[in-house]
Amino acid sequence: MTTAVISQIDQSLADRLAEIVGARRVLYRPSELLTYSSDGLPSYHKQPALAVFPGTRDEVVAVVRELAARDVPFVPRGAGTGLSGGALADGVVLIGLNRLTRILSIDVENQLAVVEPGVVNVALTRAVAQHGLHYAPDPSSQAACTIGGNIAENAGGPHCLKYGVTTNHVLALTVVLPSGDVVTLGNAAGEQPGYDLVGAFVGSEGCFGIALDATVRLSKNPEAVRTLLADFMSLEAAARAVSAIIATGIVPAALEMIDQPTIQAVEASIYAAGYPTDAAAALLIEVDGALAGIERDVDAIEAICRANEARSVRIARNEAERTKLWQGRKKAFGAMGRLAPHLVIQDAVVPRTRLPQVLEEIDRIGRANGVRICNVFHAGDGNLHPNIPYDAANADETRRVHVAMKEIMGACVAAGGTITGEHGVGIDKLPYMDLVFSEDSLAAMCSLRDVFDPDRRANPGKAIPIHSCREWYLSPAARASL
Amino acid sequence: MPGVVPVAGRASVVVTDAADSSALNRVRESIRDAIRDASAAGRPLRLCGRGAWMDAGRPAPASDLLELGGYTGIVEYVPGDLTITVRGGTTLGEIRDATAAHDQWLPLDPFGDDDGSIGATVATASSGPLATFFGTPRDLVLGLEFVSGTGAIARGGGRVVKNVAGFDLTRLMIGSWGTLGAITEATLRLYARPEADASFAIGIDGGGVERVRALMRQVPFKTYACEILNAALAARIGLPAATTALVRLGGNHEAVATQRQAFAELGTPVDVDSAIWKKLRGVEPEGASVVRLSDLPTAVAAVWAAAARVPNVLVHASPARGVVRVIGDASLDIAALRDGQCAMVAERLSAAQWEQVPGLEGALPSRIKRAFDPRNVLNPGILGVEA
Repeated sequence: MTTAVISQIDQSLADRLAEIVGARRVLYRPSELLTYSSDGLPSYHKQPALAVFPGTRDEVVAVVRELAARDVPFVPRGAGTGLSGGALADGVVLIGLNRLTRILSIDVENQLAVVEPGVVNVALTRAVAQHGLHYAPDPSSQAACTIGGNIAENAGGPHCLKYGVTTNHVLALTVVLPSGDVVTLGNAAGEQPGYDLVGAFVGSEGCFGIALDATVRLSKNPEAVRTLLADFMSLEAAARAVSAIIATGIVPAALEMIDQPTIQAVEASIYAAGYPTDAAAALLIEVDGALAGIERDVDAIEAICRANEARSVRIARNEAERTKLWQGRKKAFGAMGRLAPHLVIQDAVVPRTRLPQVLEEIDRIGRANGVRICNVFHAGDGNLHPNIPYDAANADETRRVHVAMKEIMGACVAAGGTITGEHGVGIDKLPYMDLVFSEDSLAAMCSLRDVFDPDRRANPGKAIPIHSCREWYLSPAARASL
Repeated sequence: MPGVVPVAGRASVVVTDAADSSALNRVRESIRDAIRDASAAGRPLRLCGRGAWMDAGRPAPASDLLELGGYTGIVEYVPGDLTITVRGGTTLGEIRDATAAHDQWLPLDPFGDDDGSIGATVATASSGPLATFFGTPRDLVLGLEFVSGTGAIARGGGRVVKNVAGFDLTRLMIGSWGTLGAITEATLRLYARPEADASFAIGIDGGGVERVRALMRQVPFKTYACEILNAALAARIGLPAATTALVRLGGNHEAVATQRQAFAELGTPVDVDSAIWKKLRGVEPEGASVVRLSDLPTAVAAVWAAAARVPNVLVHASPARGVVRVIGDASLDIAALRDGQCAMVAERLSAAQWEQVPGLEGALPSRIKRAFDPRNVLNPGILGVEA
């Protein structure tokens, strides 16, 4: 790693950057930087030395070149909604990309859009809605998170079960490398011979450069959507139903599981969705596509749920009911704010057939450590989100939360799973990377990083373990914004 | 070889038995050692799976052949997870048979046949008509193990269907044509077989390409496959000698019946046996010259028209993907095909034809090659990357 030196970030750099972007767009007073010292996990603080907010693509390139000339490390940041500490800048320069919000073109017939990195995820969907199209990746933070950030994290969301994650929807990128060179990756208008550079870049967590624009695929809005809520008297029965649905060959648009502690938190909040509070777990299942044949799929799913001891299966009768059912799921993290002042949101993946055992193990870990675990997650692809509400002021409880989280990660890896399905490694998952990757695999990842950023100045210390770091916690303020 | 053993709590898991696995470990070690030795000696290797497609790619001069086809078999198959992990030399046919027993499939149908290895299929990012619905290897491969040009054994991805841990070595390896590493293991996403899987042909006129594309853009469903064949190609696989849309639909019976009806506006659908797809995949003769041209879907009709004017070629197009594939011989005029804006990916060409195809542009490909194969010993030159 190069010298990440605060002394290099002196007044002359601030002045030079102000010439590029305007004085108002360069922040370096500690009070101004406070906002940028956290991402979606604001009780984890790292103060940047300086934050710069370019407004155009040319300004981004000029800023990156200036930093390259001075050998100064930087961290790219979108909306700062990430949940792995990936957008924290520890004494280096933070480049905010949230001013680059233009949708550069929409090609309705070819189902493509070219967007700047600061375009908010849901803004793209809204912009193309009139054409019967949408942008498929739909992370829970989609009302705030940016496409650039989604690309850095290879973001998912409930509907990626059927439609795929971000990398399945990016066709081409214009990227400024940390050296300041601008390169085009992929080809929106056809195949590109050679290495899959788009595939390599998506999910690189800001370590490979900054996307200046992205050509993304737009999906047709489905002709029909059906949303079901099935409730179960045991987590195990709900998990069996998940496997049975997947095994039929029907690919639901979404298949989410919500456990009792989460249901109770949601139902006690303003997001109350009518989930039965005495159920051990509920499945929120959505199928979509052509109208023809959809009722057959709904019937089949309902029958599978009942065969797996579902107590009741409810089908949303209209759009309002559907929205309400989803609101409870999407705002579940916010609702957990009722339970305790702090919350750990975790992210791990296990093979789908292992869900019953892993959920049982997570329950055991929670009880053994005296912590309360709320599960709300993408069951259809085995992507768990075990969350622990707690009080960070209580040192003993905090310690027990740490132990439980570590044990949960271990249990998921032992079941053949992985340590993050959609939140990224950032700094949060660094301590677990060597549970899933050998030294040679990590070295290969480092050499790929060196191809894009030989000086390792882009997002230093993230994604691949260089040092260990602590868990992070979500403050009530951050939860409110979810 | 693979046996079925019950594992507590899981439906059925197919694994290789222990005696085999120690022998197989030795095969894997021998692959690693061969690459290490080659790297130390600076002696190039030509990687070979089942040897099914050795005339594809640019001429790659190498003193030695590294055979990977012997490292074969299923490592783990849990039908309930809809994933399978196999060694690199496993053939598509072996995967087909193992998964069919559980009414599942790997919907990947590259041109050629099912005797090719999964390692080579993934390394060349090969796909076929089913890519219209299921995508290409980049959408179907969940994780890979490979031996890099320095002899390091590395993994990307994993065995689960969703994974963002670490940089994406998996997608980097897919389509790298063995220039960055030898693929020794792959975890693949499987699908359950649909209730209905129907194929039919519709004769269309030469201008029908745009009508097919427009129809696919408009309908509220995706076809499993939709290939437009020129008359010569249609005749070659036993259909009437006319420009033909060959369509494959999957889903429940009701959905498939309705979808079929939507295609009737193009002409009369004539049901065909699903074996037609095997014929299409196997149509290209030994020594053929084959290129893929691609552009935006709205440009596919123009690309098609230009390709179809070339004499003595078999042409087929995937309109929704914007891909036109041209099968000719050593006389195929590459420069003429490259007219216009479309992108071109060459699969198989004569040495003289390859000279008309430019190598990869930009500094990144060379840097990637040097990072993973610093001595340039793996399939040197096959991709047109400057070492």
